[in-house]
Amino acid sequence: MESQIPRSKSQLPIPDYQSSNSATLKVDRVTKRYGSGATEVTAVQEVSLTVAAGEIVLIRGPSGSGKTTLLSMLGALLKPTEGTIRLDGTTLSELAENRLPDIRLRQFGFIFQDFNLLSALTALENVALVAALAGAKGKEARKRAAGLMTDLGLKERLNFLPEKLSGGEKQRVAIARALVNDPAIILADEPTANLDSKIGHEIMRLLRRIAKEQNRSVVIVSHDQRIKDIADRVLWLEDGQFKEMVTMATDPVCGMAVEREKAAAQLELDGVTYYFCSRGCRAEFEAERRGQVVGDRLTLQVGRP
Amino acid sequence: MILVAFRNLFQNKIRLVISVGGVALALLLILALDAVFSGVEQQVTAYIDYSGADVFVSQEGVRNMHMASSALSASVASKVKAVSGVASVTPILYVTNVVVADEERNLAYIIGLPPNAAMGGPWRVVAGERIPSDGEAIIDAGVAEKSGIGLGDEVKILGEEFTVAGLSDGTATLINSVAFISKRDFAKLRGDPGTVSYLLVKVEPGGSPERVAARIEAQVSEVTAQTRPAFAAQERRVIKDMSTDVIAIMNLTGFLIGMAVMALTVYTATLSRRAEYGVLKALGARNGHLYRTVLAQALISVALGFGLGLAFTLLLAAIVPQLGTNLSLLISGASLVKVSLVSLVIAAFSAILPIRQIAGLDPAMVFRGK
Repeated sequence: MESQIPRSKSQLPIPDYQSSNSATLKVDRVTKRYGSGATEVTAVQEVSLTVAAGEIVLIRGPSGSGKTTLLSMLGALLKPTEGTIRLDGTTLSELAENRLPDIRLRQFGFIFQDFNLLSALTALENVALVAALAGAKGKEARKRAAGLMTDLGLKERLNFLPEKLSGGEKQRVAIARALVNDPAIILADEPTANLDSKIGHEIMRLLRRIAKEQNRSVVIVSHDQRIKDIADRVLWLEDGQFKEMVTMATDPVCGMAVEREKAAAQLELDGVTYYFCSRGCRAEFEAERRGQVVGDRLTLQVGRP
Repeated sequence: MILVAFRNLFQNKIRLVISVGGVALALLLILALDAVFSGVEQQVTAYIDYSGADVFVSQEGVRNMHMASSALSASVASKVKAVSGVASVTPILYVTNVVVADEERNLAYIIGLPPNAAMGGPWRVVAGERIPSDGEAIIDAGVAEKSGIGLGDEVKILGEEFTVAGLSDGTATLINSVAFISKRDFAKLRGDPGTVSYLLVKVEPGGSPERVAARIEAQVSEVTAQTRPAFAAQERRVIKDMSTDVIAIMNLTGFLIGMAVMALTVYTATLSRRAEYGVLKALGARNGHLYRTVLAQALISVALGFGLGLAFTLLLAAIVPQLGTNLSLLISGASLVKVSLVSLVIAAFSAILPIRQIAGLDPAMVFRGK
């Protein structure tokens, strides 16, 4: 799977360390039912999924398809009725209820649609609090939170209350909060839903870089079509089951993620297939290569207009 | 989590004011009532405390003055005087009656003093005589002012007219005052010149009042001898016994009001942040963390309420005496300890309901946008 990071002049910086906490999340034939008897509802049915370290998985689907239930189970917020969820050697679905808060605190980072920052705390305190919950002492928690937020471009906003922050800044604070305990997995629920297009793109690129540069797994549930651009895999959940899987590739010129099946242009070169977001990118790529390769051994295949 | 509690509390200023103000007023009710009764207790023993006596001798079995009657044979005074360690003895007569001044009836301890009494007279005289002669009375200056009389005016005591010859200070309480007439007038009006009510005993310099009291009881029959502090303590005990039910009811009222205010404000504060507590739970906060936050919120509110209530009470204690009443507020250490404990109980109880609510929070609700 291609894992090239999109390049952008306006991209946000991210903390320059690798997660020491990479892990693989394995979901095996997980089912979740609510109620019983005549009122029983199956929200998720025999879903299996593996999310590798550094991978970004986008889960899409119509409302009521079971996305939220699945995300809650992945994040150890909800226990499956059947099946297992493993995080490396630990079977989360079998852990006692009282062990789950620690798992959530140290292994998962949560990003929410509405940011869900505590309104009475400053941006810095929102992040430091989660570090403190995991056992960091007050000063150390604040130092770690401040470092992370500075890396995310929030240095001037540390002591602002959430109400004084823009949507993008709030989401970056939420991302800092999600990262502060160095989790292996980031779970994001509609992370761009309340953001405008430009900020949404920034957040998407940030999530991708967090996955690729820090080797964290990122699972995103979203209706936002644009998130396909950064995902390694897109899964379609409907009636509690995965119906379709789309594999993504990265445009080698502009860095955009593109669906292989729907790429605007493809190029086969020395046995490798490249996928492009537009014919312009393909032409640019082609021009670059023309200078390097003697003779035209390129087989062009123009995609759909 | 203390920080969260603190910030949650101070973010909504109006709710903070209602919460802290409500608790402050409830605790003020308890503190002020205690202070009033402590003041009354202190005032009620003022005569004993300022009498100058080291030992009080009374009829056997009589251990105080308030609502008590003591009759000793006048000859007992010489027997007590003969006890080793006794420097002097002043016999007094005592009865609870009224001072009628210009149609105004004021409840009073009437004290009959012998001429040149060394003890038992008024301890602060603001005008006139210190010891009443026959036909004269020394009454409390506040009572005189309230009744619109002064030196030379007439008052009626034990049904007889007396001329006001002196005005004393610090001799009135919320419920009564102390009036002094001559022992001879007192005995004549009571019709029993052969008895006295109490003997006020001064021990020799360096002597032990306890030992002297014990010696008096051992050597003089049918008397009870107590040191001044012991006698005053008995007096306070009687007052306390009489007012315990009232204090208990008012304390309970204050406690219930304080708890209701706190429970409501902590509950609504928690309810309004239900979603945030859900987020914290989803992020990995344990129930214990959240319980501590709610409890800390309640404790901080109550502590602020306690401080404010105490400040109000101190203010009252300073203002009330300026209003010309005989009311005196005394804030005792015991009262502070009691109100502190009541505050802690209020905080703990008011946190129970919100804690139960948090315990039932489903952390998965954060993904459902609730």
